[in-house]
Formats: sequence, structure tokens, C-alpha cells
Amino acid sequence: MRKTWILTCCLLLLLATNVHAADITSFDIFGPAQTKVNILVLPAKGGGVGNSFVGVVQNDIGFLPFLHLVYPNEVLGGDTSKGLKAENIDFKPLLLGHIDLVMTTGVNGGNIEARVYETYSQKLLVGKAYSGVDAGGVVRVGDRFSAQLMRVLTGKSGFFDSTLAFSKRSRGGKEIYTASALGRDLHQITRDGGFNVSPSWSKNGAHIAYTNISDKGHRLGIWDRAGRFSRLRKFPGNIAISPTYAPDGRIAVALSLHGHAEIYMLDGAMNPGKALAPSWGISVSPSFDLAGDKMVFCSGRMGGPQIFLLHTGSGQVERVTYEGSYNTHPSLSPDGRFVVFARMTGAGQRIFIRDLGVNQERQITFGPGNDEDPSFDPDGYFVSFCSTRLGGSKIFVTTRYGDPAKQIPTGPGDAMAPAWGVAPALN
Amino acid sequence: MNAKRLIMSAILLGSVVAFSAGCAKKTADAVPQTTTIPDKEPVQAAPASTPSDDELRAAQRAEAQQAVGNMVFFAFDSFDLTPESRDVLNAKADALKKYNMFNIVIEGHCDERGTSEYNLALGERRAKAAQQFLNQLGIPDSRMTIVSYGKERPLEQGHGEAAWSKNRRDEFKIQN
Repeated sequence: MRKTWILTCCLLLLLATNVHAADITSFDIFGPAQTKVNILVLPAKGGGVGNSFVGVVQNDIGFLPFLHLVYPNEVLGGDTSKGLKAENIDFKPLLLGHIDLVMTTGVNGGNIEARVYETYSQKLLVGKAYSGVDAGGVVRVGDRFSAQLMRVLTGKSGFFDSTLAFSKRSRGGKEIYTASALGRDLHQITRDGGFNVSPSWSKNGAHIAYTNISDKGHRLGIWDRAGRFSRLRKFPGNIAISPTYAPDGRIAVALSLHGHAEIYMLDGAMNPGKALAPSWGISVSPSFDLAGDKMVFCSGRMGGPQIFLLHTGSGQVERVTYEGSYNTHPSLSPDGRFVVFARMTGAGQRIFIRDLGVNQERQITFGPGNDEDPSFDPDGYFVSFCSTRLGGSKIFVTTRYGDPAKQIPTGPGDAMAPAWGVAPALN
Repeated sequence: MNAKRLIMSAILLGSVVAFSAGCAKKTADAVPQTTTIPDKEPVQAAPASTPSDDELRAAQRAEAQQAVGNMVFFAFDSFDLTPESRDVLNAKADALKKYNMFNIVIEGHCDERGTSEYNLALGERRAKAAQQFLNQLGIPDSRMTIVSYGKERPLEQGHGEAAWSKNRRDEFKIQN
């Protein structure tokens, strides 16, 4: 009886380990129940820039909520590896410690080798070698390795491959800045004076559209990445609010051609066509899916501001939000399934997500302060937003599952209105 | 001999002193008839100065700004003019007719609640509400320009209704 019991326990343990391990080599971060994988990052062997490299990767992993960072002192025996390859690693204590992935790093002068193994199968998931790495380049190399790790595990790496544009306080006004999603390579890209707000990337990453507000009124600004300059353009009426690039490269913008803000699509000569989803109420903040079939926007056509969905083919408009009396600034996921938006609650503005497929919504940020300006990343997984939770307005990133928000460093001064673009950071 | 020399010296000294005194008196008497400061015009009482056109316009501008500067305020998420706002705008229309050489900028502002883009559109509606009211009172639209700042330029930095109620406003500024 006792033997049977022990055998059953061993079998169950083996099965549990198998099931756990079978999910690791790649997994779906968009699944209904998010996988959480334990990754042990071992200290670099060889000194030099190795420790800096490991530190960068550990910091990057902190932004990936599907990975749980484990340190050697949390594992039985600590770091028992004798080299960088599988044959030099004792995987048994790692399996006992429920470590799913282990990363090794070796440095020889300016050469860095880094590997990630899956502990159960001892399979090499990522192996990269970088040469000529100095202290100045180690951050960039670390980010590239982290991007590769995310790509192998999830099939996506938009978080690392894209650049955030955002509005930031500057000399009493606001200018547009860019930085990587990790806050690297911070650059001020406009110097127009006044208030530059609402940046939006073109889908090819070549331009950023924004609104400039000054005593001259509203002007549409377009920044050119290749030439590193911007042009301002005035439109009839009093406003040019929330310019947004559609997938085909045209710009949708809220203009006041007939007495109030309505959304117009500009043609190649920057002339507005007919109003999209016209009504007597204010309409602003368009956001498109990647196919350009859907456009969500904020409108006061039924009283207070609510989120609406325009089917661009048929022109049909449907209301998206019914709860709350003040829902603004929607952002549509690239696949057109999810919309994130800011809702005014009794505790302040909070970010909510609505699944347009099943018509369910839930809260994904929880303050304190105000959480505003949500924006989907190019993969539709991460959501950036600005929040006053630490005092001034700063940029944070969470996921569509509402994982704990992490602040993106943007230097001193308030930052807001983050927008993701598929473009490498300026350097 | 010595006594004779002393007497002669005394007489000579007395003559010199008497001559010198006579010359001095003659010089003093001549001052009114001659120009003592030849490189300067005689000082005369300054006439009342007339302001330049620029100074005059600046003064009028300041007066006009004071006359039209009263703000109007709004309820949350509203661009409806209150009775108090209409009274302020009535007085403003009179001032604009008096100072008809000036145009104005109407700035629409919002409180910090709500997101930037919706507030920019709301600020425009607030400024437009005032513009339309003034237009009905005879102020041509060509004299009024609208700029919406949304929540970018709060008057009060606080985070409660006391500050918010002051920030939901239209400001009126002389433009030219």
C-alpha cells in the first residue's frame, strides 16, 4: 500500500513537471490565461561588461509580465554552473526550484555570449554572440538580446522594436519627444513653441502628426523622421485636434468646419473630405485597426463623451461604452478586437479595456491619481498610458490583462499622450 | 623816505582796490544783458507734452483690455452660457463697440478632468458660445478669433472644485 502511494506521488510529480515544461519553448501571451514563466539569470562569467549586460537583461525582463525573474540565491545551491553550455549546467536543482528557463552569459574582452535554455528538455532556445561590445554599447546589445528572447518565446517583439512618441513639458509649453519603450534614447524632436500634443505615428514610422496650440490657434504639425524637421499647417475653422494616421498613410483629424469638432479624413493634398460619422456633437480621438476596417472614436453625440465604433466600409456607427458617463481617448488594438479607453470614475480617471468580440469590459489600471491617454503597442499586448500616481504626469506601461504598471523613464518634467510607432529609436 | 614810500604805496593800493571794485560792479551789472551760457538755449517753461500715436494706442489698448477682460465661467462638461455669463457678455459687447478699433481673441479653457483631446474640442465650443452671443449683439465675427487651449493653461493649479470652477472659462484678450 505504501509502495503504491509513493509510486502514485512520483507519477503525479512527473506528469506535473511534464505539463509545466511542455508549455515553455513557446507560448501564447494572448491566451485567456496568461502563462507565467520562471527565468533564472545566472551571473556573467568573465567579468568586464558582462555584469552590465546581465543587469540590462534583468531590467528588460522586468517589463515582460509573462516572465518572472529568479535570482541565484533563490535556488538550491545557488549558481552551480561550470560553463555556459548545457553540459556545464546542473539542471536538477533548477527543476526542483520550478525554474523553467536559465540564462548564461560569458564575456571575453568585448565579446559576449548569451544563451537561454529550457530546463526540462535542456534545449537551447536563444543563443547569441556579440563582438566589440564596450560599456557604451552594452545597453543596446542587452536590449537586442531581450527582444530576441521575447520573439522566440512569444513570436512578438514589438515592445522592443518600436518607439514611443509623447508630449512633454518644455519651457512653459509642450514639445514632442521620442524614446524607446524602455525609455532609452530620449530625444526632443520638435521646437515649435506653444503646446504640442497628441502625437501619432504613421504606420511606416516615417512621420509623426501632432497638434500645435499657440496664440496663432491650432495647427497640424507633421514631423519628418528622415529630414528631422516639422511643418505646421493651419486649417479652416478653429481646431485641428487628435490627428491620427490611418493604415493607408492618410491622416484623420478633428476639424471644426461646421461649428463643432468632427473627424475628417485628409486627402493627399491635405484637404478634408466628408465628415466621418457626422453628428451634432463633438467627435475626436480616432483610432484605427491595422486593416483600416474599423475606427473607434470619442463622441458627445448622446450627451456626455462615450466611445463609438465606425465600420469604415458601411459607414455604420455603433456605441461601444454604456457604463460610466465620461469615456474618452480610445485606442483600438491592431486586430480590431479590443479597445482601451479612459473612464472617469469616483476615484479618478482609469483605463478600461473592452473586448468587442464578446462585449465585455474590465478595468486594467487602478491609480492612484488619474490614468489617461491609453495606447496599444503594435502587437496589441502592451498598453502605455500616462498617470499622475507618483505626483506629476509620467508614462507607464501595462498589458491588456492589467499587469502591474511599470514606469517608462522620460527624464524630468511631465510627460503624457504616449503613442507607439513601429520605428527604431533615434540615436 | 620810508614814510613817503609807505604813503605812496598806500595810495597806489587804494587806487587799485577802488579800480578793481569798480570793474567788478560793472561786470555784475552786465549779466542780464549778455548770454552767460552761450551754448544753450535760454531755459523756458516746457509746454504740456502730447503723447505719440503709439502711446495713445497703448493706453487705449490697456483701457479696452480692462473693459473686455472679464472672464465667463462654465459648468463641468458644458458650454452653456449662464445668466451671469450673459450679463458679462452684454457689457463686453458695449465695450467692443466703444473700442471698435480692436479685435479680440476668445480663449476657451477647461479644468484638468477629462482627457486632453476632448477638452480641446470642449474649449472650442465654450469659446464659440461666447463668440455667437457677441455676434448676436452686433460684434462681427471678423473681429473675433477663437483659440481653444483645453486643459493646457489652467488659471488655478489646484485639484478640487474651487480650482476647477475657475479653470472652466473663456478669456478675452485684445488682439491687435
